[in-house]
Amino acid sequence: MSEFPASANPANANPVNRSPVTGPGRRPRRLLPLAALTVAAGLALSGCGQGLLDKGGKAEDKSSPIVLGMLVPRSGGEAAIGPYMTNAAQLAVDEINAKGGVLGRKLELRPEDDACDPKTATAAANKLVSSGVHVSVGGYCSGATLPTLPVFGKANVPMIIPAANSQELVDQRQKHVFLINGTGTQQTDAAVAFMTKKGAKNVAVMHDNTSYSKDIAVQTGKDLAEPGGPEQAILEAVTAKESDYGANVTNVMAKKPDFIYWTGYFQEGGLLIRQFRQAGYKGPIMVADGSVSPKLIEIAGKADAEGVYATMTQTPDTLQGADAWKTAYKSKFGSDPGPYSNQSYDAVRLAAEAIGKAGGTDGAKVIAALEAIDGFQMFSGPLKFTPEHTLTKGGFQILSVKGGAFALEDALA
Amino acid sequence: MSQLIWNGLFVGAFYSLVALGYSMVYGIIKLLNFAHGDLYMLGAFAGFAMLGAAGGVFGSMTLLPLLVVLVLTMAATGLAGVALERVAYRPLRGAPRLSLLITAVGASFALEYGMHLVAGADPRVYPVRLGGTTLDLLGARVTVQQLVLVLIAVALMIVLNVLVTRSREGRAMRAIALDPRAARLMGIDVDAVISRAFFLGSALAGAAGVMAGAYYGKIDFLMGFLIGLKAFTAAVIGGIGNIPGTMLGGLLLGLLESFGTYWLGGEWRDVFAFGVLILFLTVRPTGLLGERVTERV
Repeated sequence: MSEFPASANPANANPVNRSPVTGPGRRPRRLLPLAALTVAAGLALSGCGQGLLDKGGKAEDKSSPIVLGMLVPRSGGEAAIGPYMTNAAQLAVDEINAKGGVLGRKLELRPEDDACDPKTATAAANKLVSSGVHVSVGGYCSGATLPTLPVFGKANVPMIIPAANSQELVDQRQKHVFLINGTGTQQTDAAVAFMTKKGAKNVAVMHDNTSYSKDIAVQTGKDLAEPGGPEQAILEAVTAKESDYGANVTNVMAKKPDFIYWTGYFQEGGLLIRQFRQAGYKGPIMVADGSVSPKLIEIAGKADAEGVYATMTQTPDTLQGADAWKTAYKSKFGSDPGPYSNQSYDAVRLAAEAIGKAGGTDGAKVIAALEAIDGFQMFSGPLKFTPEHTLTKGGFQILSVKGGAFALEDALA
Repeated sequence: MSQLIWNGLFVGAFYSLVALGYSMVYGIIKLLNFAHGDLYMLGAFAGFAMLGAAGGVFGSMTLLPLLVVLVLTMAATGLAGVALERVAYRPLRGAPRLSLLITAVGASFALEYGMHLVAGADPRVYPVRLGGTTLDLLGARVTVQQLVLVLIAVALMIVLNVLVTRSREGRAMRAIALDPRAARLMGIDVDAVISRAFFLGSALAGAAGVMAGAYYGKIDFLMGFLIGLKAFTAAVIGGIGNIPGTMLGGLLLGLLESFGTYWLGGEWRDVFAFGVLILFLTVRPTGLLGERVTERV
């Protein structure tokens, strides 16, 4: 994971209320009117476009390419993640086309920038829909992905979401939405399994009061409350964006925990790790996928971050036996794959598989085909969707900081 | 218990340093300088840039270069404060209070997103970190670095207080606070004195910024927003416009937060701290040491 670019924070895939640093989450009262206006304008504009194009779109040419839309952040605070996802998707598209495409038709990838921002994402989704995409294979920031669900839904475009994984996406119970990244609940299962494995008895769970972070923390608390396994020592909330967490650290230390689980983001995570170590805490600290970023190590300081655990889905760095794939990626794009490259690659393959099984691009048929898929091989293992359209197994594994970078600690197989 | 008190005092020292700028400016020209928190951010970034530029010059020493950078940063942010006053506030000297308030909010945005353009949205990490040699002081865990930072903060506050109460410059400031027009008639260069007040307040905020950067390590372009609000609150509790009161206000807010976290948990800390404040202000609207304002006809 050492290749993570500074801002490639997989963290941000998850939280529903995630926004780039400049986003509406930070100062809702200042940006809200502007946001509302832009969304309104965007909807109005794209609404018109959609109506005009729909007429032409219906009479579909059977020799035209099958278009896969992909919303990823290519600007803004999360811009670094975009290329990892679109490159990998393009790799899959090229491979499939080299083998003759799907149903005799070529695949075409159409990426759009969502800037990890709900209003940009909505406009971009409308643009994709009106340009006639058949399946959506994008979605990184949960907060930006959420408002695009109805846009694709109305146009009957199935969505295979490679990265965004907030429970809120699942809770929408949308028939056309499929998640191929592990969900929050699956993350807590992995976290508690590892705590039990480490023989933890008294676990302090800390969150930053954002919905993504609190969800994981509260769910972890519920898992810990079940008989057997470790107990929850304290559920402590901190205020994001502060620097001094001395009071929280004192609170937690008073409960004498032997394991700490932080479910928020890397900025506060880094500060907390450092302040816990300064306070003399010697036990293990684990962070959730929101904190898996080289910045966490930088902020905590290399010495203090060493040995910190993390719950995280597969990244190219932790993939076993995917060397050929990594080499193919590198020779094509001149750089190593990054976070969510593997999931994006799989999303395209899965889309092709489902369209092939459905015998066409009709939304309802593709959705039925996706639901029927059983045993399709992906990086995360053989695929079969649950009734909620999520993975049967989350694929979360445990990383740890070794020599100043995250590396695989325990695959929790 | 002693740990809680120490936590509170340490955070409170930062609040006090930043709050002083608010308080001085308000005391003199009755302006709520909402961009003040962003001068703290500016200080942190200025220090970051200087430490980065100085790079290898200082070798392995940490405290000496930090002190040098601290002084340089104070000068730089002080000048930035003066420039801010010149550009954003002086042209509106005679304007209604509300226009000034909006200008201050605008200045805050300009500083924040100006820094966003220059440095980007990613948080930066200070090249020099104050580690921690832990001491046990009356049952509290205290690091030498924390002690040094608090001592620097206290020293700066004392210097400021002496400056305002003893020097000729301070007397001019207090005169303007009482009655700007009469002060001008007595031959005081009002604009120059106000500039100097901005310099002092901004320099203190800059110092707090560098100290926070070096101690906590992480800085970002919005770091001044929250502490700006807290410092404003601290100034109001202490009695805005009153310097010793403002210092006490900062420490009190720090202590309230520390004990609030302990008693009610982190989620309820702000509810507790600000609830107490509201109660306090209903009993004593002028703050701890603020004087009752009597309108004379």
